[in-house]
Amino acid sequence: MSAIKECDLPGIGKKFTLELDSGDKLVVVIHFSGEREVFKFTKDNDEPSSVTTLTDEEAHQIGAILSGTYFQPVMEDEQKLMMKNVTMEWIKITDDSSLANKKLEELNIRKITGVSITTIIRGETVIPNPRSSEVLQPQDTVIIIGNNEQIKNFISAFEIKQRLEK
Amino acid sequence: MIVNESVLSLGISLLALFIAGLLATKINQSLTAVFIVVGMILQNFFPVTIITEFIATLGIIFMLFMFGLEFSVGSLVNNQRKIFYSGIYDLLFNFPLGLFLGWLLGYDFIHALLLAGIIYVTSSVIVAKSIIDLKRSANPETEYILNVLIFEDMFIASFLAFIVGITNYGHIDAKGTFLVILKTSAFFAFFIVLAKTSKKFINKIIDIEHTELFVILILSIIVLSAGAASYIGLSEAIGAFLAGLLLSETKQRHRISEAIKPFQQFSTAIFFVAFGMSIDYKHLGGMVPMGIFIFIVTSFSKVYGGYFIGRKYALSKRAGLRLGLSLIPRGEFSIILAGAVSMSASTPYSIKSLTGVYVLLSAIIGSIVMKESDWFIKRLIERKAPKTLQTKNP
Repeated sequence: MSAIKECDLPGIGKKFTLELDSGDKLVVVIHFSGEREVFKFTKDNDEPSSVTTLTDEEAHQIGAILSGTYFQPVMEDEQKLMMKNVTMEWIKITDDSSLANKKLEELNIRKITGVSITTIIRGETVIPNPRSSEVLQPQDTVIIIGNNEQIKNFISAFEIKQRLEK
Repeated sequence: MIVNESVLSLGISLLALFIAGLLATKINQSLTAVFIVVGMILQNFFPVTIITEFIATLGIIFMLFMFGLEFSVGSLVNNQRKIFYSGIYDLLFNFPLGLFLGWLLGYDFIHALLLAGIIYVTSSVIVAKSIIDLKRSANPETEYILNVLIFEDMFIASFLAFIVGITNYGHIDAKGTFLVILKTSAFFAFFIVLAKTSKKFINKIIDIEHTELFVILILSIIVLSAGAASYIGLSEAIGAFLAGLLLSETKQRHRISEAIKPFQQFSTAIFFVAFGMSIDYKHLGGMVPMGIFIFIVTSFSKVYGGYFIGRKYALSKRAGLRLGLSLIPRGEFSIILAGAVSMSASTPYSIKSLTGVYVLLSAIIGSIVMKESDWFIKRLIERKAPKTLQTKNP
């Protein structure tokens, strides 16, 4: 990899030249206005064979793609939005719980409260996506997911006393 | 009723500028040239009023202030060797030629010097804009063009201080030259020392949030510096330039530029109009052939000088020629030089009209030459190339 040459363009901005392995040159000019221009010079030619003009924002996006750190900023926002409404809770099944020793299908949790049980933690074993025939046992920890209202329903319907910190 | 009429004429001038400017941008012509033409036409309808003249004076001051503000001291320091050498070659190719032409025209030494300055200085405004518009900012010759421009601007700023000083003194002799150079250097030194020592202090005083007060403070700094320079017999313009340099290193630089730009654009446009209005048609007839002659001669020297610099720095022949062809347009500084000195009574009329013709020719044709440089390259270089090959082969 060759070094990047840097050069001042007084009154215009700054110029960065990268000589590629192919012998072509890629030149980036950053204008004081924030605008970027990307020029391609083919080997031994002193006039560019192509010019692309980018705004500051576009340049940031392209830069992220080129450096391999690109992710869709819109998607990230959506995820955040989703996580605002949806909560996960860790619930300990006590010995006297109305949930203990019952099959999931009898409890009908989703129908009654809207909450889904995503995982059961039983001692050392973890049961992700438990089947409806699974029986909840005392001292199990269940991970439930739902929006705030659904979680509240769940807690009041089954008189949950022990919620664990995540 | 003088005021009423002059306000009306100012309004008409501005409207005319707008319409002409709109047309000029459509065909990619430089605004400088168009504004001068507008002034030349308008002189048939009303005279230059006190108001126009006053705004024109502010125009020079603001223009030089913006030059100083946007002057890149950093790149001057970083590339001083390159800038110095390309600048010196360009100076040697063009400045003495101007002196010679001045002598040929029968000017005295001061006016020959003035003419040398006028034909020497390429318009950095026109050239930099063309480089950006023509997408040439990454070309190998561009950094050398800009280096030449930065040297020229610095040189001409000092030259302006000197020439106005010497005109105010009256004539050139050893004592006068010494006095003016001493005054100029002292004035420059004062600002440089101020910039170096009081950076924090200056940053602190201009850190004002109130928009209106901020503008008034900056204006007061500009006008005071210009006034101080004028008071000690130097050009107001140089005071403003140094005020710009002083403020260019502050954190508020961008805000200052935003605040002053509208004033500058308005007053500079009026300055060019006023200059156009002061060009007399009656004298112009005789000026045109002379203007064309000087234009052709000095274009050759600029192009050859540029080509020489390009070859010196191992650019290809094509890039070297493009470098030379980019240096033809003359503009704002030539007019400032012609205008700044003719305000003092001793200047013969001709130099102003001559500069008008010269700047119009070089700004308009120079921009076209830059755009069509491939045509020249084909004619001048690629035609020769096969011949040299043939002579080498056998």
